[in-house]
Amino acid sequence: MSVKTRFSTLAAAGAFSLLASASAWAEGSLSIYAWADSIAPDAVAKFEKETGIKVTVDAFSSNEDLLTKLQAGSSGYDIVTPSQHFVKIMIDSGLLEDIGASSMPAFQQILPEWQKQWWDPTGDYSVPLAYGNAGFTVNRNLYKGPVDSWKVYFEPSEELKGKIASLAQPDEVIPAAQNYLGIPYCSEDPKEMKRVLDLLQAQKPFVAAYSSDNIENRIGGGEVAMHFWWDGNTMRVRRNDKANVEYAMPKEGLVGWLDSYVVPKGAANLENAKKFINFMAEQENATIEYNYYGHSSPVKVDASKALYNKENAPELFPTAPVKMSQACSPAAQELVTKVWTQLLQ
Amino acid sequence: MNQRPKLPGWPKLSDWNVLGLLPAHLIMLMTLIIPVGIIALVSFSTRGPYGGFDYVFTTAPYKQILFNEGWSGELEFNPQYLIVVARTVILSLATTIICLALSFPVAYFISLQKTSAKMLLIYLVTLPFWVSMIVRVYSWIIILGNDGVIAKALRALGINENMGSLLFTDTAMLIGLVYSYIPLMILPVFASIEKLDPALVEASHDLYGSRLTTLRRVILPLCRPGMAAGAILVFVPCLGAVLEPVLLGGGKTMMMGNLIQLQFGAARNWPLGAAISIVLMCAVMVFLLWRGVQAMRKEGREASA
Repeated sequence: MSVKTRFSTLAAAGAFSLLASASAWAEGSLSIYAWADSIAPDAVAKFEKETGIKVTVDAFSSNEDLLTKLQAGSSGYDIVTPSQHFVKIMIDSGLLEDIGASSMPAFQQILPEWQKQWWDPTGDYSVPLAYGNAGFTVNRNLYKGPVDSWKVYFEPSEELKGKIASLAQPDEVIPAAQNYLGIPYCSEDPKEMKRVLDLLQAQKPFVAAYSSDNIENRIGGGEVAMHFWWDGNTMRVRRNDKANVEYAMPKEGLVGWLDSYVVPKGAANLENAKKFINFMAEQENATIEYNYYGHSSPVKVDASKALYNKENAPELFPTAPVKMSQACSPAAQELVTKVWTQLLQ
Repeated sequence: MNQRPKLPGWPKLSDWNVLGLLPAHLIMLMTLIIPVGIIALVSFSTRGPYGGFDYVFTTAPYKQILFNEGWSGELEFNPQYLIVVARTVILSLATTIICLALSFPVAYFISLQKTSAKMLLIYLVTLPFWVSMIVRVYSWIIILGNDGVIAKALRALGINENMGSLLFTDTAMLIGLVYSYIPLMILPVFASIEKLDPALVEASHDLYGSRLTTLRRVILPLCRPGMAAGAILVFVPCLGAVLEPVLLGGGKTMMMGNLIQLQFGAARNWPLGAAISIVLMCAVMVFLLWRGVQAMRKEGREASA
């Protein structure tokens, strides 16, 4: 399989350098800060051609990095794409521009179930871009057993020692552990969170790496047999790189996410940002984006041109329950950090 | 107390052309003093609920380094951050010692070559700096990984058919650290070996000094300054290493750099991150001051001798 390495996402490793890298304030430009490889280059090229606006796209690799950058002020970006719980935190912290999303043409394209959800109940700030879930992926050359429960991932059998990988951030791993243990997300009960820590500590001897970079190589190439991962990414590495991988459907529940276009407070190119958001929600462009990104689309796509369906992309049509992750209170977040720090101390 | 030893090349205050040096002072102020001041300020601030901070004075972040709420709710001494600090210092020391042990023969070998070969070899030592640090560390993933260069070679030779991955171990992390910083050791050690007067080595032999004695009593002491400079250049950036633990160590155990990153990221506790940064900076400063005092004492001894 091809060796795909994502150096761009590693930029996060230099999290201290909170310097704004983008400096696009001139007329006719637009700076986007999005998940690595999440925005279809074809759609961007089409947008540039139609409008004459010059677009730059930079990549981030975690919601936390994005939040930190916005909190540091003047990020220089016009559009960023946080997940739902971070949209709520950013709205509550006054970090986003009210773009009157619900009166934009883009809003009419959003599927009803994703309109004015709890993270943006007035529909003023965000237009969804893609949704999916976090679970785990197995390499079928290395692991033949069942994948219907988080048990095989969190309490693996002996032969998987050093063959499991997790993510570098607790943001989705801990909710998954909570699903397995039947503990509510964002629990503020130290006793419950201690159980999460105990579970993760018992799993640690089996874990080869806690890393969010270069996952497709690690799982597709067989460096590990199981990896905490996302639905669409698994589908892409299976289809595009012909890797023998399968996305698990744990009965205790997958961890749901939905990423949205939002505009940071004080963005220099507000109108261009709205233009781009409207453009991407148009059915034809949304289809290009869907086919490129390979995650489910919360806006209407052209079914005749869409590449993925239940048969060829079962990852995108989960048979296990999906529970959207929540915006935790500071007290709950403190416990999450405590678990993670003690796990990796 | 005898007179204060004068640092070599240190101009007297009256010589300073204030205007001429103003740009340098401004750059120092803007890029060093103000940022460090901001970090210190944040470390004494109150954390915001979702990251960020409020300008309300508190020493809580520093207390947090040592004391934490236990799982049953009471405040207790918790060495978790000290463990990370200790691990960082130990790994940095190990890296420095390995770099030193490897650099000395390499530098000595280079110094024995003809001038043209010398130039080429020194150029090769600095060559990795032309490539981004991330790419260089990444290449070790390909070398150490499953089916990596090493595993394949061993299998081809029939030595080890079924070795596990070398990646994501402390050894891998240490290899990465040594690899990243060894040029910073070779160059100053080479410079000091170059300055070595061959006559002194010959003299040692003439006086029936064995090879080992010559190395121990003549060569090594004369190369001390270069080795000391190299040790500082390796040890200090090692303390702040972030990439190697993540990419090669598999992120299983934190070094201080990762701990600070966690505080600014997932933990949303900027003041604690800033406090740990300040502690790291103080550790570096104590180390450098200690070296500085040692160097000054030595100068003083030589001057009075």
